[in-house]
Amino acid sequence: MSGLTFPLPPVGRGRGGGGADGTAPLDPDPPPPPAPPHKEEESRVAPFRPRRSLAYLQAAPLALVFLIFLVIPLVLTGIVSLWEYNEYAIIPALTLQNYADLFDGCLSADLCTTLRTYLSTVKFVVLTLAITLPLGFAIAYFLAFHIRSGTVRMGLFLLCTIPFWTSNVIRMISWIPLLGRNGLINDTLRALGLIRQPIEGLLYSDFAVVLAFVHLDTVFMIVPIFNSLARIDRRLIEAARDAGASGAQILWNVILPLTKPGIAIGTIFVTTLVMGDFVTVGVMGGQQIASVGKVIQVQMAYLQFPAAAANAMVLLAAVLLMILGLTRMIDLRREL
Amino acid sequence: MDLSPSRRTLLKGAAALAATPVTGFPAVHAAEPVTLRYLGTAVSQSSDIAKKVKEDLGIILEYIPVVTDEVTKRAVTQPNSFDLIDTEYFSLKKILPSGNLSGLDAKRIKLADKITGVFTKGEVNGKKIGDQGTAPRKVFYLEGQNAKTFASAPTEWLTLIPTTYNADTLGIRPDLIKRPVESWKDLLSPDFKGKASILNIPSIGIMDAAMVVEASGDYTYGDKGNMTRAEIDRTIKVLIEAKRAGQFRAFWQDFNESVNLMASGETVIQSMWSPAVTKVRAQGVPCVYQPLKEGYRAWAQGFGVPKTLSGKKLDAAYDFINWFLSGWAGAYLNRQGYYSAVLETAKEHMQPYEWAFWMEGKPAEKDILGPDGTLIEKAGATRDGGSFEQRMGSVACWNAVMDENTYMVRKWNEFIAA
Amino acid sequence: MDQPRGRAFYLLAAVFALYVVFLYGPTLTILALSFQGPSGGLTFPMNGLSTHWFAKLWEGVGVVDIWAALRRSLALGLVVMALTVGIAFYAGLAFRKGFWGAGLVFALAVSSLIVPSIVVSLGIGLEFRLLDDAIKALAAATGWGFLQDHGTLMGLYTSALGAHLTWTLPFGLLIMFAVFNRFDPAYEEAARDLGASGPQTLRHVVVPILVPALVGVALFGFTLSFDELARTSQAIGGRNTLPLELQGLTTTVTTPEIYALGTVTTAVSGLVIGTALGLTLWLQKRRARRALAGL
Repeated sequence: MSGLTFPLPPVGRGRGGGGADGTAPLDPDPPPPPAPPHKEEESRVAPFRPRRSLAYLQAAPLALVFLIFLVIPLVLTGIVSLWEYNEYAIIPALTLQNYADLFDGCLSADLCTTLRTYLSTVKFVVLTLAITLPLGFAIAYFLAFHIRSGTVRMGLFLLCTIPFWTSNVIRMISWIPLLGRNGLINDTLRALGLIRQPIEGLLYSDFAVVLAFVHLDTVFMIVPIFNSLARIDRRLIEAARDAGASGAQILWNVILPLTKPGIAIGTIFVTTLVMGDFVTVGVMGGQQIASVGKVIQVQMAYLQFPAAAANAMVLLAAVLLMILGLTRMIDLRREL
Repeated sequence: MDLSPSRRTLLKGAAALAATPVTGFPAVHAAEPVTLRYLGTAVSQSSDIAKKVKEDLGIILEYIPVVTDEVTKRAVTQPNSFDLIDTEYFSLKKILPSGNLSGLDAKRIKLADKITGVFTKGEVNGKKIGDQGTAPRKVFYLEGQNAKTFASAPTEWLTLIPTTYNADTLGIRPDLIKRPVESWKDLLSPDFKGKASILNIPSIGIMDAAMVVEASGDYTYGDKGNMTRAEIDRTIKVLIEAKRAGQFRAFWQDFNESVNLMASGETVIQSMWSPAVTKVRAQGVPCVYQPLKEGYRAWAQGFGVPKTLSGKKLDAAYDFINWFLSGWAGAYLNRQGYYSAVLETAKEHMQPYEWAFWMEGKPAEKDILGPDGTLIEKAGATRDGGSFEQRMGSVACWNAVMDENTYMVRKWNEFIAA
Repeated sequence: MDQPRGRAFYLLAAVFALYVVFLYGPTLTILALSFQGPSGGLTFPMNGLSTHWFAKLWEGVGVVDIWAALRRSLALGLVVMALTVGIAFYAGLAFRKGFWGAGLVFALAVSSLIVPSIVVSLGIGLEFRLLDDAIKALAAATGWGFLQDHGTLMGLYTSALGAHLTWTLPFGLLIMFAVFNRFDPAYEEAARDLGASGPQTLRHVVVPILVPALVGVALFGFTLSFDELARTSQAIGGRNTLPLELQGLTTTVTTPEIYALGTVTTAVSGLVIGTALGLTLWLQKRRARRALAGL
């Protein structure tokens, strides 16, 4: 079981099918303490361990899919980012020009395009995290500690996930009638006499983009945090209370540290989603706000594959760095 | 977007057929009809045309609607994913060198010599029109069927057979603007701060900006459709300044985005396509397609076939193109505000009062209805910009792919990031 | 857990309620606007009340064959679902036994989640483009007839399928981990003691117990695939999936038809969720009953 040094909780169950498997996290009873170490499990399995070779066969399809559709594409992207290109073709000749173009002007005093684009994207990451994290935590906490019935909890979970079954694209454009210059919110406020002039910044602005991100991504924060909360041994909390800790102290000194893995995973998810986005920023920002994903998409549309590849490599590096920073801060492996 | 009764019945029929548990391919229903996968933008794709073609020729059109840039991309990267392409002429500068398109044999196009002089000679009724950018005239003929270079003089091989073309200008909301707009430079006028928009297709958007720069008298370009790096820098600088000053509300990328922006009042002035203006008006919102003294930025698109197309499918493609030029489709497009390739045949399929309104710039004798039966103009109205001659005659430049395209896209990204 | 419902409860309940309102805002907007009268637009105020746009939707949206796109997305979703369940299940078993390189494969699965979708999509697009180029070069070099007509290997069941799997499999795998972590090997031991063979144990003991989890994986695989846009965007062949077609539609349709479509998809999804949930609950109950009867 050497592979399971990094066993994430089942973060996946957030969207859509969340908890439909009806297993532990939604169980009405307090879940068992954190998953048993796998070595122990292995030893339990050991007495009748089937042929190891079977394991290779069983894992092969998974490995193959990742090899063909993840590893090779990424390697190719790396290679192609070093190739030349013209209007209609990729030319396999080595050049660093794509990267030079990318960072063109970055050494001068004024911010270069790439830096500016990344700053804009990172700004959205920070803003989105600043909202989704406390919000996600509050909701996860509510569901984990305040809802007593498992069925109710499952119902509330589903309530949160149903909107995610409508296409992202449709949900996004439906903000427009709400937020537009003559949209529902502006009209209501005007009818109530609260404002004279419509608030322009509701749509096609940073506000609109962050709003959409919070709308789309909070659930990715709720689920991992919920999982961490659900794994906390309730006896710890009782012990803390018996020792005279206040509610805030329990939250800060007991619950929060134990939720770190969930927070880290949620943060990683949201970071990745926002960093790589190209639809939300476009639609909600009125195509006026730059994002790294959008730049890549434009370059792809103009057949500038090597330039797009160079951009993608830089984006990948940036995301991995951010995640590395996060895991450093929290030491994911030890926490899990 | 009301459907005519006939179309409704047909669609109901189609839906009923689709609902029966068959394989999902319509080809099952007729005796081996040919299906043409038709790649293009939503501009000229219409279910009415598809229906009519099926009636007249038994050819089934399977539309693949994508945005302008995506058409080019697919033509270059996935040449077997379509049987017929409807692309802008300027894209040819990218597609042709890839060797994926085959020249069309002028001998097999019955009305080839009737195609308007806008394409063959760059003229409207003998008068030369603007030639800047990728004017169709420059990329109309090929040296040979599989040539990768354009011919400067007429040959037997055509690159694309024109489907629709038009001259773009600014669309405005007269009810919200309340002052005359006469020049492209009004697009960046501080009067419309936060209420302007341009096209977010870099190669086209930058030309709109060039029109503004020229109109404000700051600079005259050698060729707006083929700028030097210094000219690109200059143009982008103007755009960046305007953006930082909060001039733009949003950018649009497709036909209906422009309609929605205008109709909802998010923008009051923006570069626009003629039928989009028509559509805004059809929603009961006042909108004017404003002719400007500097002239129009024109565009044109046409049918091409991939090199790999052969046999029955190739014959069907020629049949369809010939049918398209024969009048019904031309009239259909003209009634939406576009222009068709062979004017004579389209005229035969339009009522005289329709022709007078759409093409001659005369006041409408009767109510003008769109192809779907919606009221477009009441009797007495005249078309913005006047007649075909006035409009196409005042073209200043054409949509283009520049030699410095890569650099331009980079600078455009800089503009978006500013 | 058992503290009395104090201020914190009501405060958090309010936060939760507000979040739900926020979450449903757009959905309700869609719902309301889809019932506009025939002269309605994409924005408020409502112009009349009718089911006009649903009728329109049934007749077809613009030039796009939306039902064909829906069929394609459904078919792809089902294939992705089946593959996700199968591959994740067996991979879960493999991880349980342990094998050399398990750490690497797991790291791959995690990175598959973390690498931005647009990068994965671009990579797959590039991969297939280079493959196509290679095949064309081969065709030119050899003159083999069957290669001459080669267009592209990209397609719904090649590049797009792969792109979807890089998104669904990690989720599937993580769920399988969670499940196997709580799986009591005693069941298997008992089965073996009673003389069951490996495959028999798997089929008659392991799988039945895992059915709810597998349903979860299946639902997940299907949803993630059905709504996937970013990873597919650069890796799709000639024919679009529904989300891509919808993305095109949002820029080409100016009528509430698009909202009607949103309402319909939400309703259908709700139905699917409900059915799956009901099925799972029923299976669990049945299992519990059987267990009781067994005692």
